[in-house]
Amino acid sequence: MTFSAILGAWIAAFLTLGIFSYLYKDNPFYKIAENVFVGVSAAYVAAISFWTQIYPNLFGRLFPKDGPLSFTGLEFDFNHEFNILYLFPLILGLMMLLSVFQRFNWMARWGIAYTVAIAAGLKAFGYLNSNVLNQVKASSVDLFSGSLPFFSLGGDSVFNNIVLLVGTISSLMYFYFSKEQTGNFGRFTRLGIYFLMVSFGASFGFAVMGRISLLIGRFNDLIDYSSADYNFATFYVLLFIIVVLGFWSFKNREK
Amino acid sequence: MKYLEDIILKLGAVDRRIIFLLIGLAVLIPLLTPISLPVRETPTTVKFYEGIDSIPKNSKVLVSFDYGPSTRPEIHPMNVGVLRHMLRNGHKIYISCLWPDGIYMALDALEEITDEVNPDNQSTFNIKEYEDYVLLGYRPGAEAVIKGLASDLRKVYTVDAKGRFIDDIEMMDEIKNLNDFAYIYSGSAGYPGTFEWVKYGGDPTGVPMSSGTTSVQVNEVIPYVQTGQLIGLLAGMPGAAEYEKLIASPGIAIQGMAAQSFAHIVIVIFIVFGNLAFFIKQRRDRKY
Repeated sequence: MTFSAILGAWIAAFLTLGIFSYLYKDNPFYKIAENVFVGVSAAYVAAISFWTQIYPNLFGRLFPKDGPLSFTGLEFDFNHEFNILYLFPLILGLMMLLSVFQRFNWMARWGIAYTVAIAAGLKAFGYLNSNVLNQVKASSVDLFSGSLPFFSLGGDSVFNNIVLLVGTISSLMYFYFSKEQTGNFGRFTRLGIYFLMVSFGASFGFAVMGRISLLIGRFNDLIDYSSADYNFATFYVLLFIIVVLGFWSFKNREK
Repeated sequence: MKYLEDIILKLGAVDRRIIFLLIGLAVLIPLLTPISLPVRETPTTVKFYEGIDSIPKNSKVLVSFDYGPSTRPEIHPMNVGVLRHMLRNGHKIYISCLWPDGIYMALDALEEITDEVNPDNQSTFNIKEYEDYVLLGYRPGAEAVIKGLASDLRKVYTVDAKGRFIDDIEMMDEIKNLNDFAYIYSGSAGYPGTFEWVKYGGDPTGVPMSSGTTSVQVNEVIPYVQTGQLIGLLAGMPGAAEYEKLIASPGIAIQGMAAQSFAHIVIVIFIVFGNLAFFIKQRRDRKY
């Protein structure tokens, strides 16, 4: 095992257990881990954004260079031809930066307007096609198909098609506000709420499942780091954190 | 009855740190002393498996690594499984990344596959770069990258992750855009990922695609399976475990399923007691 791998394991064990220590209560270890995370994340995003987006995509087109650009040992495009059109995004970008001066902050609106227009145009078609038209099409199910079984837990069935149709329409009707939701219409929209509740429950269940999966991932790493290969990093870091936290709690018991 | 209600009230008001501790133990103990629990395949996972299995042998497939270290425990086992399955069927794999960290995840997955040995201590797959796979690497731009790949791959990638010109790679000769792939797979943890691949990759080109997602995304992605826009779905770590079972390559996801199940049982118990305690307290507080 290399020194850097062992050092990395000790840092990872310390930061993981530091974050877990918040489950006891807010404490200096948690604060250290939290601040390191915020600082490293900000620096990482800034460096990645500049070297993988602005530098190759903008400067690479305005000041072409032969051969690829290497960043952290991996290569990115850099052999583009000069393209004067890229002066336009450069100017818009500079105008957005000028918003820090109150006198010029109107300039930022041009860049924002351009970005909003591009994003809206780009996303509108994709959303309409994939999330609206295809979904509407798939909701047109055959309720009386002779080829389908009446009931099936997992696959297509007449019963599942009825649930799909009733669920879709009643949930949509719940968001129809031009008619008072009373009488039979009210009862139908109430059914829609139940469908939505089932959906929210499923979302909650999946969210819990996801968080437990991530916890399993961290525990697996901590178990790995507790081996002799990593000089028992997890045990020593855990012992250190417990002892210091105990002392810190004792000293601050009145608070 | 009152005695039982008092116990439930006490359990419902238990210190949250006790709950954390119990969930921690429920996860840790099965990981330290592996317990084998049966894994039952769900229809979406079976559909996913059959979708990949039905790709004609020796096809060209695009695999996208759209996740980072934070969601690695969920997505990585799926992607390693997908690589194994595709390599067994002799497919040529082209790896792209919409997340900057995705490239490191791809390198880890490839290393895992390369290091894998059979009982005779021989390499299981014996894969070679530029013959069996190309690591195209990360490009910024999210949906713009996918739109670029759908129209002209060479406008998005002029070099691969190792700096080799795309035009100098023999495996890339017949690849002009997404239409030249037989299948698209995205291991996705959020934006950009499955949604963008469906909207700007799979749907406009008609190339069959599937995805593996984090559990949190499943509820939003599953309608794409019902419409046929996705051929099956791997839903979180349980999806990965089911897939590992289907391809007969038990890995880290199957190992984690016992821990997952025990943690869920503890959570369900506390939800039940919390709700019972709530209703009992509400009834006792009622004045009339």
